[in-house]
Amino acid sequence: MKLLLAEDDLILADALSASLSKAGFEVEVAPNGAVAEFLLLKQHFDIGVLDLGLPMVDGLTVLKRVRAAKPALPMLVLTALDGLEHRVAGLNAGADDYLTKPFDFPELEARIRALLRRSRGAGGGAAQQFGKLGFDRDARRATLHGAPIELSPREWMLLDLLLTQRDRVVTKDQIAESWAVERSESGSGSIEVYIHRLRRKLEGSGLAIRTVRGLGYLLEEGEG
Amino acid sequence: MHEALHRVLHRLPGVTPGGSSLHRHLLLWLLLPQLVLWLAGAFFTYNLTARYANQAIDAALSTASRALARQVKPIGNGLFIDFPRAAQDIIEADPDDRVYYMVSTPPGQFILGNHRLPAPPPIDAPVLGQPYFYDGAMGEADAGLQVRVAALYLSYGEADTPQTMLVQVARSRASREQLARRILFDTALPLSVVIALMSMIVWAGIRAGLAPLARMRALVEGRAPNDLAPLELESAPREVHALAKAINTLLAEVHESVSGQRRFISDAAHQLRTPLAGLKSQTELALNEASEAAGPALRTRLQRVHESATRSAHLVNQLLTLARAEPESAAAQAKSRVDLRRLAGELTAEWVPRARQAGIDLGFEEDGTSPTPAVQGNALLLREAIANLIDNAIRYTGRGASVTVRVRSLGPDAQIEVEDDGPGIAPADRERVFERFARATLQGDGCGLGLAIVKEIAERHGGRVALEGAAPRGLRVLLRLPRLAA
Repeated sequence: MKLLLAEDDLILADALSASLSKAGFEVEVAPNGAVAEFLLLKQHFDIGVLDLGLPMVDGLTVLKRVRAAKPALPMLVLTALDGLEHRVAGLNAGADDYLTKPFDFPELEARIRALLRRSRGAGGGAAQQFGKLGFDRDARRATLHGAPIELSPREWMLLDLLLTQRDRVVTKDQIAESWAVERSESGSGSIEVYIHRLRRKLEGSGLAIRTVRGLGYLLEEGEG
Repeated sequence: MHEALHRVLHRLPGVTPGGSSLHRHLLLWLLLPQLVLWLAGAFFTYNLTARYANQAIDAALSTASRALARQVKPIGNGLFIDFPRAAQDIIEADPDDRVYYMVSTPPGQFILGNHRLPAPPPIDAPVLGQPYFYDGAMGEADAGLQVRVAALYLSYGEADTPQTMLVQVARSRASREQLARRILFDTALPLSVVIALMSMIVWAGIRAGLAPLARMRALVEGRAPNDLAPLELESAPREVHALAKAINTLLAEVHESVSGQRRFISDAAHQLRTPLAGLKSQTELALNEASEAAGPALRTRLQRVHESATRSAHLVNQLLTLARAEPESAAAQAKSRVDLRRLAGELTAEWVPRARQAGIDLGFEEDGTSPTPAVQGNALLLREAIANLIDNAIRYTGRGASVTVRVRSLGPDAQIEVEDDGPGIAPADRERVFERFARATLQGDGCGLGLAIVKEIAERHGGRVALEGAAPRGLRVLLRLPRLAA
């Protein structure tokens, strides 16, 4: 997994590249905007992590230029600035996510992985393994301990949504929305019923669907 | 008019306590001298009319006394009085304006007329042929009637043995006083009306003149303590303009210094963020590596460094939020319609993973039946306020606790509640925790700014924040903001 880190603060860049390497990424560090732009345009990366306050060419400009050339490349923006205006500017310029300094490394890693998951999901993506659960979007097949599990279209979409947004809350509105878009299955049944069925089918997978009071559901690793 | 008078009365000294008022000053200076002058004028007019009335009466009495004297003819050493009955009747005819007369030869020899006439003031050597005038009262028989008397001394008899004769003619003073009173009344009444009109005009004039001051006062009084925008006084007189200008200069200076300070805090916080991120990342990394290589002592040290870095980072973020929430910068930030139900729902969902890490069951409840709890506000600041409430609940309630965020409309307000079943805050400490850097507990790694930030943001939005105990245990924080009509 190739990652470009554009950060001018050497101490932060050093720590981040070490942590990211440990987490399994192949990290390239760019100390300024010009280098970052050059590398992102000329080489292949799976994801870019950009500081907005870069010397020579500022982060927003790099972001816009790279976005124009490579619309599918996931980009995460780091900044010491915050505020809604900055956030909107960053997202308008093409950032996929936004993180304000200082942050916890696990937070950064989670965001990077979520972005990668999303980009792979959108691009078809290969078979993925979550604990003992195998999930293959291309083949539209889910397996538990290698044995296939039967999933109705709605159950499939529900599991897909929960997996894509793993460790984050999936609201009932989001679930209803995903079902309405596909409209592939007739018949009714409340979300609770489908969650109940899915829970039964995921027993022994190492994944648990937690109920978040008043909001929705959250898929996390751990027995439940 | 009645009300206006009332207001004037209230401005008079002694009626309203407190410092001096320009209005009162001017009114006193203009009206009091006027009143004194009016009284003096009335007194003077009365005296003048009385004098002229006396003069007229005295002239008549003088003529009458001389005429009477002519009727008294000396014969040798005696007196012959030729006073026809008809003339007597004419003189004494008018019952309202009685005329009395007396002829005598002093000392005290009564000859003719009404002997009850008051005696003239004693004169040592009276000038003959020159009438004296005096006021006096008739005797008991005439009910003590007030009279004006002319006394004329004449001499008669032989040239070698002259004798003095006194002729007195009196007239009741009633007519004279009536005349004076009428004249006084005729002049004083129009004068009083003029005075009353003048007072009203003066009062209205002062009011009109001081109106720009009152307007300026309203402008200054009506503004929030954070509003440092210049005063705008249009069409104000020169003097008030100068005052407003002086105030505006001061406001501008205060504004400059306050915003300079804010900018500094904000810049400093921004500048601190990158090194703090570096520090945090480095210690995180060191912690990971230490677990493999170094002993537990070093690991504990590193853990503390990391905690300290995390706290500093949190503090910097909170300070920045506070700087943003402060009136000066909050006023500059755009406001829009914010649906609190949506915002709080999104935020709660965002915080669920962190809450689960802390072993806390975070949930959301909404009252779907009430009107949409939308407010007019700055979404970013409101977000910070709610985030701080959730963050506080997670920080201080402890593992295994449950935290619930509730949103609903309550009368004219929208209310966000964050309730936990943690240790709570003692009632005595509930006011203090809204102060900056005040903390109710030494547990947790908070910096003591959370509730101060919430309070600041609530106040920026015309709302308030309160704490109450939850049953059976725990704390409920209520953030109430004025609701925007749908």
